[in-house]
Amino acid sequence: MKEILSTYKDKVRLVIKHMPYKYRDFAFISAEAALAARDQGKFWEMHWMLHERFPKLDRESLISYAQELGLDMKRFRNDLENMKHMDHIQADLKLSRDLDLYSTPTFYINGIKAVGDRPLESFKSIIDKELESSARE
Amino acid sequence: MERGSAMKIVYKYLSFVFVLIIPALVLSSERFTVPVGDSPSLGPEKAPVTIIEFLDYQ
Repeated sequence: MKEILSTYKDKVRLVIKHMPYKYRDFAFISAEAALAARDQGKFWEMHWMLHERFPKLDRESLISYAQELGLDMKRFRNDLENMKHMDHIQADLKLSRDLDLYSTPTFYINGIKAVGDRPLESFKSIIDKELESSARE
Repeated sequence: MERGSAMKIVYKYLSFVFVLIIPALVLSSERFTVPVGDSPSLGPEKAPVTIIEFLDYQ
């Protein structure tokens, strides 16, 4: 995704919805970590970091990533402890159920559904078509 | 008799077109509306392409 954003720069907007799977130990807490970082203006830094450091997503690891990003640790630990963003995550999960989604990642590119990790070229061909049709309008 | 069986094949072919191919075409071009809400986003709000990603970090 990072590569797509840098290829298309200001032509593409990326929006993140969290869909943690309840039977994975660190799925919820890592979504919390990303949203707690967001409160301190570092969502994307944490977001990419969680991708890069996968599968080390246990609580201690998340705390060390927050430290690395220079977050206010008292606040971060507190947010994690209280699962401060559970309502946000539950709202995303409800949306995913309403859309009948069962697997991650799932993408909507201008509303066109694409399920699963796929080669960069596959994204590019959809995006290029969308850009062509938006240029014609 | 032969003519009848030839017609059967034609009907089978036609039903295949209607039952399988047409819905597949309709489904593949379907566009969903997914609200952005207050979700984290990167890139201009008026970008011609919006990608909404549902993910699990783990």
